[in-house]
Amino acid sequence: MEEKVSSISLTNVAASYDNGADVLTDVSLNITGGAIYFLTGASGAGKTTLLRLIYQLHKPKSGQIKLFGKLTNDMSRDEITEIRKKMAIVFQEYSLLSHMSVFDNVALPLRVRNMPENKIRALVPKILDWVGLGKYANEKPLALSGGQQQRVSVARAIIVQPSILLADEPTGNLDDENASRLMDLFIQMNKMFGTTIILATHSNRLIDTYKFPVIHIENHHVKFVTKVASGDTTKKLWKGPAPKNYFNELSKQFDDIGNIQ
Amino acid sequence: MTKKPIVFSIIQEQSTFMTAIMSVLAFLSVLTLGIALMIGTGAIRMNTSWDLYATIQTTDANDAPKIREVLSKNKNLIAENNEISNSQMTDLMSPWISGGAALQKYLPKVWEVKFKSATDMKTVQQEITPYAKFMTHKNALATPIRAGWYLIAISTLILAIVLGSITVCVSYIAHNTAILHKRELEILNQVGASDAFVANQMQVIVANICTRATIIGFIFAIPFLFLILSAAHSARIGLMAMMDLNWIGWILLVLLPVAITIFATHIAKHTTKNILKHS
Repeated sequence: MEEKVSSISLTNVAASYDNGADVLTDVSLNITGGAIYFLTGASGAGKTTLLRLIYQLHKPKSGQIKLFGKLTNDMSRDEITEIRKKMAIVFQEYSLLSHMSVFDNVALPLRVRNMPENKIRALVPKILDWVGLGKYANEKPLALSGGQQQRVSVARAIIVQPSILLADEPTGNLDDENASRLMDLFIQMNKMFGTTIILATHSNRLIDTYKFPVIHIENHHVKFVTKVASGDTTKKLWKGPAPKNYFNELSKQFDDIGNIQ
Repeated sequence: MTKKPIVFSIIQEQSTFMTAIMSVLAFLSVLTLGIALMIGTGAIRMNTSWDLYATIQTTDANDAPKIREVLSKNKNLIAENNEISNSQMTDLMSPWISGGAALQKYLPKVWEVKFKSATDMKTVQQEITPYAKFMTHKNALATPIRAGWYLIAISTLILAIVLGSITVCVSYIAHNTAILHKRELEILNQVGASDAFVANQMQVIVANICTRATIIGFIFAIPFLFLILSAAHSARIGLMAMMDLNWIGWILLVLLPVAITIFATHIAKHTTKNILKHS
């Protein structure tokens, strides 16, 4: 089998908060393209910081971060913006713009990529339907429940068909049915496009159900990384109901974005 | 450039406040440029009107025939020759010298001459100088014209100060908007927006404010320029009476608000990029 290139590589990375307190120390990771990982650890252990480091929202105190084989430490803002266009992040607190409609929030990543408005109008309703929010397109995010806002946030992340998807507690505000539906989406996306996905979670149930490899953070260190099984991980480990092929139709619309390498 | 920023816009009160300030600055800039142009036009007109005129004067009546002879000999170089008569001179001098025989004794002989060219004037000047004073009107008007150029320099300085204020004002808009919309900027960053995209959003906001403001400022400044012109013309003589705005001046005045808007959007772009770079 052809060896996959590491899409994310961290070497001896240390990070601290603005007040100087250490969050992560000597973190080294290699994440193969197309894998799904769970990221676990106690509250405040540094899960969000690790995701922010990978997404280039936080500068490391020391060490090297490589994305798609490119060293990011000395990249200019424009270079980081370019590399970030191949990635997406879902935050625990949703990061939605409250004065904009659900439609406009989801369309935002496409608009900043200068996608023509007619294509945006065709694509956004589809993705909103797929996350079960089609009828809320014109609502403001604050009119939605926490779980619905979480799904808007996910829709905004996946609409750009990222090569790397980072999600901070994406199922934290969802009931079991919606959590399962969301996991369906992530797995489908991974299978169809080979998207590398890192899901930060506290849910042992989720970890037990899906059995993806786990990156565990404890005492500022990455303590344990489960080895990725050889071959198609998601096929072997997937125990839930057969995922619906949400992305079949969507994939045709993604040609213009072309983030997946 | 889109007409409406898609992510953030400034709140109504802030927008109104900034439009008001920019309108005042646009008003001042149109006014100062208008005044500078009017004085400049006046100075140029004065120069061109009087630079071929000279006054020839002698207090020795015996020299008068010689002067007449020189003027007659060079009549092909002269456009107008007006010898001031004794009665006209008596009228002119009467406020300073009492009438009678004494006045007649001291009356100067004066000629007002317009030459066909500066070279002609110089030729005649050389021949006249041994017999009489030859005073060019250009020299006589040098002082008011110099004062006119000083006024133009002051107006230009005021215009530069106003443009500097516009720079500060636009930077303030950009900084203030960035602070107010820190969250939006962060989210834009997260969804992959480049600095150029964010700066473009700010340019749209500033362009909207400046377009409104400069139109208001221009409309308010024009009546004041006409009032100043009318007041200056009431002086009837001198530099003030010569002040005017020609068609080039009007084109420059119309272009000023456009230039201010382009300048302001440029400042907005650079300020925003700078803010993002240091955020």
